[in-house]
Amino acid sequence: MTSIGTGYDLSASTYSPDGRIFQVEYANKAVENSGTAIGLRVKDGVVLAVEKLIQSKLLIPGANRRIQTIDRHMGFATAGLVADGRQLANRSREEGRSLRSQFHHPPTAKMLADRLGLFVQAYTLYGSVRPFGASAIVGSVDKNGPQIFVVEPSGVALGYHGAAVGKGRQLAKTELEKLKLAELSTREAVIEAARIIYLVHDDAKEKDFELEMTWIGNETGGQHEPVPKDLFDEAERKAKEALESFE
Amino acid sequence: MDHFPTNWGRPRNDAFDAYNTYPFHVRPDNGPRDAFADNVQRTQQPIVTGTSVLALKYKDGIMMAADCLASYGSLARFKDIQRLHEVGKFTVIGASGDMSDYQYLQTTLDELLISEEITAADGHSLGPVEIHEYLSRLMYGRRSRLNPLWNSILVGGVKDGKSFLAYVDLLGTTYSSSTLATGYGAYIAQPLLRKAVEGREMDIDENEARKIMTDCLRVLFYRDARSLNKYQIATVTDSGVAISPSMELGTQWGFAEGIRGYGAQTQ
Amino acid sequence: MFRNTYDSDNTVFSPQGRLHQVEYSLEAVKQGSAAVGLRSKTHAVILGLKRSTGELASYQQKMYRIDDHVGIAIAGLTSDARVLSNFMRQQAMGSKMVFNRPVPVNRLVSAIADKAQVNTQEYGRRPYGVGFLVIGHDHTGPHLYEFSPSGTSFEYYAMSIGARSQSAKTYLEKHYEKFVDCDLTDLIRHGLHALRETLQQDKELTINNTSIGIIGPAASSEAPGSGESFRILEGEPISGFLQSMLPKEEAMGFAPAPAAPAAAPASDQDVQMSE
Repeated sequence: MTSIGTGYDLSASTYSPDGRIFQVEYANKAVENSGTAIGLRVKDGVVLAVEKLIQSKLLIPGANRRIQTIDRHMGFATAGLVADGRQLANRSREEGRSLRSQFHHPPTAKMLADRLGLFVQAYTLYGSVRPFGASAIVGSVDKNGPQIFVVEPSGVALGYHGAAVGKGRQLAKTELEKLKLAELSTREAVIEAARIIYLVHDDAKEKDFELEMTWIGNETGGQHEPVPKDLFDEAERKAKEALESFE
Repeated sequence: MDHFPTNWGRPRNDAFDAYNTYPFHVRPDNGPRDAFADNVQRTQQPIVTGTSVLALKYKDGIMMAADCLASYGSLARFKDIQRLHEVGKFTVIGASGDMSDYQYLQTTLDELLISEEITAADGHSLGPVEIHEYLSRLMYGRRSRLNPLWNSILVGGVKDGKSFLAYVDLLGTTYSSSTLATGYGAYIAQPLLRKAVEGREMDIDENEARKIMTDCLRVLFYRDARSLNKYQIATVTDSGVAISPSMELGTQWGFAEGIRGYGAQTQ
Repeated sequence: MFRNTYDSDNTVFSPQGRLHQVEYSLEAVKQGSAAVGLRSKTHAVILGLKRSTGELASYQQKMYRIDDHVGIAIAGLTSDARVLSNFMRQQAMGSKMVFNRPVPVNRLVSAIADKAQVNTQEYGRRPYGVGFLVIGHDHTGPHLYEFSPSGTSFEYYAMSIGARSQSAKTYLEKHYEKFVDCDLTDLIRHGLHALRETLQQDKELTINNTSIGIIGPAASSEAPGSGESFRILEGEPISGFLQSMLPKEEAMGFAPAPAAPAAAPASDQDVQMSE
């Protein structure tokens, strides 16, 4: 059944006769229109990477980051509406702060994603708000070890070994499935993440893009940090080489 | 549209949300905010206390010292606690007064660091100047609500080549000087520190600064009944913060025999 | 006028995942007269084209000082701009009060962006109808940001907003690589050249319709004592800068090869304003 023109797709508080909430599906469309974001959970750490589409060459490279930090040990990559992604990150920081002060312990990705999921879900219940047009990948190394969770516009929050959201998610997921994630080191995962982002970027259709990568692992002392320049450059170089041999 | 019926018909908080544009979940509660409203008694005295903290400026930066005792009244209750605390990369704080209030402050500052420095990740870090200003606003705010945090705090650090040393207490009073001491030390150690340091801050090297500090700590240990001969020294220099493990203070008690009323004398 | 089902309020996604009300608010920005911003390694400047409603009316203010180290140029609804700039001033004061530190510029811009996002998600509101160019100087040097009603903020080497701003953008894209080493006088000249591109055929920049906002050390031609802090130049003091402008063709050819001007965007969405 088509959604358009039925009148069942104008509010998040309306079901269609076959039980769908079209506004949430449309919010997912906003995510699917944006540059890809991926997260890898590996042996001893977590890597986040995004394909940041460049709207103008007047933008300062590296200045407008799309991967954010929630706590010392926790990163947050979003795909979808940029402004919604920031709102989700701000909410996550609040939740992180509250968990930290309640338990006197760094929040785990699971607790945080659960709470963020509840928040996002509340925006699918009412006609007076719209759902979030963004999906978030929460990555952390906490007492449960390396963790990746994805929170979608529906409010669902699930854990993953490898996660991909945004335009190139299908291809990225296929590539992630080929990897033995549980055996990779964080360093190797950085190389793979760069390769996947370069692979899923559609040169023909899309504008320029900038690769953005962060990691959490032993080498960062458990902190969420941008991938250091030498490793980043190496990963980017290898990604470009791999792309050539792929084609 | 505000969906919370409890907010309907109530005034907005103009200082916080003048145009009513905050998202629902952070919109402020405008309930009564009066110190007498909830009819409780606030802190009247500290319970578990730390005694003096000393600090001075020297050639490489600042040095701070405090002993490791937390007293419960006159009882030497906890003898291995840390009263010097690192805040970010550039700052050390040390506190006398109520130790639970101090622990609360440490947690608060850690949260501040996460929200202002870690999550922003934009290169704007908090130095000693900012930490001190924040603490002074916090302390003054608390005392204005008649619910003070019962501490005297020294804040010292070095950032961008500038060293900074200042004081803030439970009333929100602040001042700055090249030597500072809290508690009993303000009477006993501060004159000694001034004599040793003032005017020659740039001539004192780390060894001399340590000597000055341990001399003052020793005098305090002799004179202050709430002090301990175990202490720590922190330095903040261009290369960062270093807090020593706890150390023992060398003391002499041979002379005590000669003091009337101390030893085995009968007369 | 074209209407569609999904554009009547901002709590409705279109089937493509778009927010039409937000997109329309971006059009409101284009209704305002143009503003241009650019930055070197020492300075950040904004230039604005002021409008007046008639011979007897004064020119509308385009720029606001937020703090000593931050200033903005606006395009769109002035009243919305006042709400947001008041908020920015409060944030700036808050930072001075709590940390004894001028507020970092990026955080100030993010704060209004996050505020604007709320207006794109709740029923009964409309997105702000104003865009900002924000210049500022802090611990990390001079900066230029664009704020837009969709709730985003981005940092740029150079940017333009408002009516016919695409033409200015074309100029900026052609020259931006040189801006970083420019002194203040050259930076302003580039800005004026870009701003001139937004004018209608028979109009020109004058001391009455042009505002220049500056952060950074004073130029030799500025009054003694000005410098470092944000300042707005208007009227007589800018005549020297206006005179230093190169004729249009020459200005475009500032680049080594006077190549054909960069292609205009396929659909010219800019709104033509009658003055």
